[in-house]
Amino acid sequence: MIYRESGQFKTTYAADQAMLPILQDKIFVLAVIALAVALPFLVSNYVIQALLLPFLIYSLAAIGLNILVGYCGQISLGTGGFMAVGAFAAWNILTRMPEMPILVGFVLGALCASGAGVLFGLPALRIKGFYLAVTTLAAQFFLVWLLQRPFFVDYSATGVISAQEIQLLGWTVDSGIDKYLFALAVVVIMALVAKNLVRSSTGRKWMAIRDMDVAAEIIGIRPMMTKLKAFAVSSFFVGLAGILWAYLYLGQLEANAFDIYTSFDVLFMVIIGGLGSILGSFLGAAFVVLVPIFLNIVPGWLGLPLDTAMVSYIEVFTFGALIIFFLIVEPHGLARLWTIAKQKLRLWPFPY
Amino acid sequence: MAAQPQESAGAARAGESLLKVEDVQLSFGGVHALRNVSFEIRRRQIFSIIGPNGAGKSSMLNCINGFYQPSAGTITYKGEPRKQMRPYQAASQGIARTFQNIALFTGMSTLDNIMTGRHLKAQSTLVENALWIGRARREEMAHRHFCEEIIDFLEIQQHRKTPVGTLPYGLQKRVELGRALAAEPELLLLDEPMAGMNLEEKQDMARFILDVNDQYGMTIALIEHDMAVVMDLSDRIVVLDHGEKIGEGTPDEVSSDPRVIEAYLGTQQEEEA
Amino acid sequence: MAFFIEVLVGGLLAGLMYSLVALGFVLIFKASGIFNFAQAAMVLFAAMFIAGMSGEWGVPLWLAIPITIVLMIGVAWVVERVVLRPLVNQEPIVMFMSTIGIFFCLIGIAEIFWGSSSRTLDVGIPRDPIFVGNMLFQTYDLVAGGIAVVLVLLLAAFAQWTRMGRVLRAVADDHQAAQAVGIRLSTVWVVVWSIAGFVAVVAGVVWGGNLGVQPVMVDVAFKALPVLLLGGLTSIPGAIVAGLIIGGGEALAEVYLGPIIGGGIQDWFAYMIAMAFMVYRPEGMFGEKIIERI
Repeated sequence: MIYRESGQFKTTYAADQAMLPILQDKIFVLAVIALAVALPFLVSNYVIQALLLPFLIYSLAAIGLNILVGYCGQISLGTGGFMAVGAFAAWNILTRMPEMPILVGFVLGALCASGAGVLFGLPALRIKGFYLAVTTLAAQFFLVWLLQRPFFVDYSATGVISAQEIQLLGWTVDSGIDKYLFALAVVVIMALVAKNLVRSSTGRKWMAIRDMDVAAEIIGIRPMMTKLKAFAVSSFFVGLAGILWAYLYLGQLEANAFDIYTSFDVLFMVIIGGLGSILGSFLGAAFVVLVPIFLNIVPGWLGLPLDTAMVSYIEVFTFGALIIFFLIVEPHGLARLWTIAKQKLRLWPFPY
Repeated sequence: MAAQPQESAGAARAGESLLKVEDVQLSFGGVHALRNVSFEIRRRQIFSIIGPNGAGKSSMLNCINGFYQPSAGTITYKGEPRKQMRPYQAASQGIARTFQNIALFTGMSTLDNIMTGRHLKAQSTLVENALWIGRARREEMAHRHFCEEIIDFLEIQQHRKTPVGTLPYGLQKRVELGRALAAEPELLLLDEPMAGMNLEEKQDMARFILDVNDQYGMTIALIEHDMAVVMDLSDRIVVLDHGEKIGEGTPDEVSSDPRVIEAYLGTQQEEEA
Repeated sequence: MAFFIEVLVGGLLAGLMYSLVALGFVLIFKASGIFNFAQAAMVLFAAMFIAGMSGEWGVPLWLAIPITIVLMIGVAWVVERVVLRPLVNQEPIVMFMSTIGIFFCLIGIAEIFWGSSSRTLDVGIPRDPIFVGNMLFQTYDLVAGGIAVVLVLLLAAFAQWTRMGRVLRAVADDHQAAQAVGIRLSTVWVVVWSIAGFVAVVAGVVWGGNLGVQPVMVDVAFKALPVLLLGGLTSIPGAIVAGLIIGGGEALAEVYLGPIIGGGIQDWFAYMIAMAFMVYRPEGMFGEKIIERI
């Protein structure tokens, strides 16, 4: 009864093309953002650091990968590599040019990731599908190796490189709450950007290439340009996520933090959350962050205390099983379940 | 739909040559799909390519829009002989097409499919699109307006937001036509637009084709198996068999050509056998 | 020069191990069109069960290996039932992603049973170095290379002369035609995944016997992926030649290029080579050319 679009007539195309055409959706999204801003003041610092921050940063990476995989149909296993490029490029730029504003450094770092994405996207000119997936592994392994060369990073004796402190107009981002709010701002802005892109002509070209690349070329879409744009935009998002991971979550630079399993995690978020859905990227990230916590807590309730190693093994298995489950049962992921729920809600309590 | 801005709209210029195919050959590893095929399509014509299965009709369309490269011969489009060309270049020169097996973007809605067909007219850059400012917003509204006219024309208003994968076959064919029209092409290639349709759907489609040709002066090259439709619609017909041209002319000329009759009767017997 | 040949031969023999894993991929791809990302996990899975059973439970190797082969047949059956059958006729990329799921399931199961600690696996292959002239080779590498060659010949003979082999080739040629003449696809898939499982057992034993068995083994087995791409997905000789090229190439690169640009080249060498080659020739060295239709 509450969620209903009847009575909301659109009189202009602008109104119909709006991001959230239904009033209830607008209210809902505003409420979620308000809650997200209030949340860190209600929970412990541990929850912020261990749950909320990874969730936000992973969401950003998942949006980035979703643009490439879910919207443009080019599967990539190089996410970790591009995250690493973003983080290390930003660190190098900010170290070598200390006077540079930190946000500018972040954007430049993400642009470097974009460049790397385009470079490793070039094989998409000739190959697609799982061929491309395997060649993107080259990005993963090569970039992580490259970034450990002394030219980029001279690891000190302790082997730790701290990230610079983030300062913005006199606001020092150091407490958990500060970090959370900073990440939230970045993620909300970038999610809007992504949403704009996918509903524009750029996004439609991506989807055309995804759905049928031959037909897309015949109606005049240049496959190479379109794919490379997807790689560039996707890697920008992913690179930015890498920067936030290093600067907010880890507080230090470490190439091995962006290993192949990071790439898999982000891919899982995209598949579980829903290919081709921005909302799904958030849902997928939340899911992947919550599952390990769930696995840690539930056996205890059932009186089967497991040691942490066993929990991590079960986690590996669970993710594999979940991927298969979602591919078989709901290939559009959690986002699709959300849409179905909304459809039901439109008719509730009088379905037909 | 908005009037065609191009110069061909004037009746005085109608009839000049739009596409000229000369001695085109196409072979795949020794198998000749096309042998020395020549014909000419004039502006505002409805031009049909007919022939039995495997005659090379679709291969001919694929050559025209750059999906295949002829191994010999020239294709002259708008007075200029074409070199090697990719399909997207053909599209940007004003050649649009539909496919024998529907090639819609199945993950997208009807409206988005048609909007995608209009992308050649979009000028906005990636950054404008990302920030939804300037041209991005203006163009989106203008294109939406144009595409809504196509949707009205094709009478698919109630399926606007439906994912095309879930539409019935006949409607998918219409959406595909809409996607081609959205590009405002000068030459529209239709590969069996009525295949698998019932009589009523065929009548609708024939009406759309005639309207597109009449009202907007669009040149149409058509492949179709239903002879009644071909004879009714076409201004000119070329007949292919085993990759070779065996006849050309007006519907009357072609239907009385002994070679054509032979080719058709022959294959009909084979098909019935 | 002697040193060069030592390095090269060592690399080539290591490359045969990649070929061995890649063979499993080729078999599955040919018979089902599925790019089986999980092949590397199957190798680890097999090796961990063999090493675990013999190390923890004291099962002798001659028994542990056959048990594991039976286990791999079970895995093939479960995969066909639970994953492949519901996804039949899905797009190849969906199948590919589902095999990533299988990858993690297998590793998860192996770790739940045997943990993630390193185990040794002594299969009785001598480890003495031998001299040929003034060059030094590892006996183990030579024996392992020999096993790889024998396995390839066995598979070729199987495909050529047995009834099941003919069926597999028919399915590889044309799924639908094969079904039309009464071949059951599900049976074929179980068989081909079982054979891939058997190949994984051999690779796991040989590899684990040399380097020890532990979860990071899967990272090495991963390199069969670029080997596969380089060779062409449908070609058994391709998998062998590409394995040799990558194995030899990365050993030489590590020794001669490593001091200049920094060590650890082996981590990415195979992938970069495969990527560069794919741009030049997308179907790989021996793969069948892909013709697009509309």
